Amino acid sequence: MPSASERLLTPTRAAGGVALLAFAAVALAYPSIAPNPYLLSVGIVVLNYAVLSTSWNFVGGFTGYISLGHGALAGLGAYGTGLLVTKAGLPSFVALAAAAVMVAVLAVPLGYAALRVRGASFVIVSIALVLVTLLVFQSWASFTGGSRGLNVPRPFPGLLRPEHHRVFFYLFLALLAVALLVWWLIDRSRFGLGLKAIREDEDKAEALGTPTFAYKLVVFVVSAFFTGLAGGLYALWFGDLDPIFQFSILTGSYMVLMALLGGVRNLFGPLVGALLVGSALEYFKVEFGNTPLHLVATGVLLALVVLFMPDGVLPALGALFRRFSPTTDSSIREVTAAELAAQRTGGDLHAQSRNG
Amino acid sequence: MPSGALLFQSVILGLLLGGLYALLAAGLTLYFGIMRVVMIAHSAFLILAAYLAWWSHTELGIDPLLSMVVTVPLFFGCGVLLQRLLLARLRAVTLTMMSVLLTFAIAVVIEGLLGYVFSGTQRRIQLGYGAASLELLGARIAVVKLIAFGLAGVALASLYLVMKKTTFGWALRATIQHRDAAKLVGIDTDRVAGYGFGLGLATAAVGGTALSLDTTIYPSLHWHWIGPLMAIIVVGGLGSVPGAAAAAMVLGLAQSLLQIELGTTWAQTVFYIALFLTLAVRPQGFFGGRLAQRF
Repeated sequence: MPSASERLLTPTRAAGGVALLAFAAVALAYPSIAPNPYLLSVGIVVLNYAVLSTSWNFVGGFTGYISLGHGALAGLGAYGTGLLVTKAGLPSFVALAAAAVMVAVLAVPLGYAALRVRGASFVIVSIALVLVTLLVFQSWASFTGGSRGLNVPRPFPGLLRPEHHRVFFYLFLALLAVALLVWWLIDRSRFGLGLKAIREDEDKAEALGTPTFAYKLVVFVVSAFFTGLAGGLYALWFGDLDPIFQFSILTGSYMVLMALLGGVRNLFGPLVGALLVGSALEYFKVEFGNTPLHLVATGVLLALVVLFMPDGVLPALGALFRRFSPTTDSSIREVTAAELAAQRTGGDLHAQSRNG
Repeated sequence: MPSGALLFQSVILGLLLGGLYALLAAGLTLYFGIMRVVMIAHSAFLILAAYLAWWSHTELGIDPLLSMVVTVPLFFGCGVLLQRLLLARLRAVTLTMMSVLLTFAIAVVIEGLLGYVFSGTQRRIQLGYGAASLELLGARIAVVKLIAFGLAGVALASLYLVMKKTTFGWALRATIQHRDAAKLVGIDTDRVAGYGFGLGLATAAVGGTALSLDTTIYPSLHWHWIGPLMAIIVVGGLGSVPGAAAAAMVLGLAQSLLQIELGTTWAQTVFYIALFLTLAVRPQGFFGGRLAQRF
């Protein structure tokens, strides 16, 4: 359904396009211009956050269901990959794919339990998931290595450390691109429209015939798959897993914070949030070490975002931009009345062809 | 097969633990009833109260139970302010989700501040009567556990009386049942909701003091409490106080009995298994009414 706005080159769109191209160029060149391997590894950590937060945004952004437990899904992807490599002897990237599929399969019963009722139970299940996986992976030491951790052999044993970082930087970048592409595709589809209807008013969406439970479950599984992939890729890169860090409630809350800060309704919102929060986190780690104060900083930042900027910085910037540009749309809708009319005739044709 | 005395002791300990769970779950249920808020920070306030009790005992030399004279009113005030200044500001449409994030942020801030002020070292109150115990039909019950249960029982009973017998309790229950209707008959629902939150947080002060008597505390301990508590309110049916109390007793008992065979760590999983099974089989919980079906 091509709408008129796609052919219009508004200043906001142009600015967005330029920003995207600039980001892509900088990201592609970053391994060459990063002055030392440490900064390159920081780049990988930030990219990992960006993938995780974009994966989280499949559920959080489309349906409005907030999960604090995606950290556990990433941890399961990481441990799944690590255990498949060490215990089953699979090649690294086969293990990665298998682990991500396993996380997605596990997400089916989880989502079944968590998504049948509305929000509150979903949040409770998501937190419980982190707590129970931490419990299991710490206690089941004979299988998971327990608190001693798990060593994952490197996929490219011949590479030196800087080269290793460089390869994984591009791998994470590719994964980010795929995740963003899938989000964009869902955003434009009927499926995405149904999900967004759930976000706006689940009762009305259901009354209009949207299969809300099935939609929520499918998008939760997609989200879990990408989260598992990101976790597994992290395991292959970092090579050392510890249950305390893998199944930390903080990982999940970072994903939420990044996505919210950037703006959950925007394709690039989580990416922007990850760039801001991820760099800040690494900076704080260098400057202040691991003090309990980083918990305080995270909490205060999250509270401020929730209270004063629940839509994120990207929409705020966009609003600022539109204020200075000669505007034609006075409606608060995302589409103008003319676009709506064009869509309606197009939509009717679609409906007829489907019914016929 | 464990001996009869051991089994009996586990049953007693399970019931005593269940009493504390019931008190704390009652607070969580109250918040949910008033505002549809899942209050993640409840157990963080619990640990905060335990730290305050520990601090007043080691630094000021007074009995930890006396710290409640300060903590209960203090927490009541915190609860009122929390509701009026922070939660009431959130948009009504996304209240359930955003309030989770906000209270989560508060929990993380409390954990970080506790770690900063008192360090991450594990703390424990050394009491004169800490080692004393009663012998009952071959079961050995620590006196401090009985005191903790007594505290929880008294607090629950007073909560019940406040809710059922006072005008404020009427207004609070009316606000929970139907906010708009309550407003129509002249109840200042905003103020009542604030006081209701204060009441809920006051239960955390009592629970924290009871907890400090016989538990080693550390800043991140609250995560070990919020999981079981949330499982309890879901199994009981969100918003139902008797349901939460019954679920607390049953799950506390189950945890205590499973500890004999599985050890403390694995016994904790009973809460999460109960949570998943409840949501899969009977998502509205076992005592929940109309309210629970929609959340």
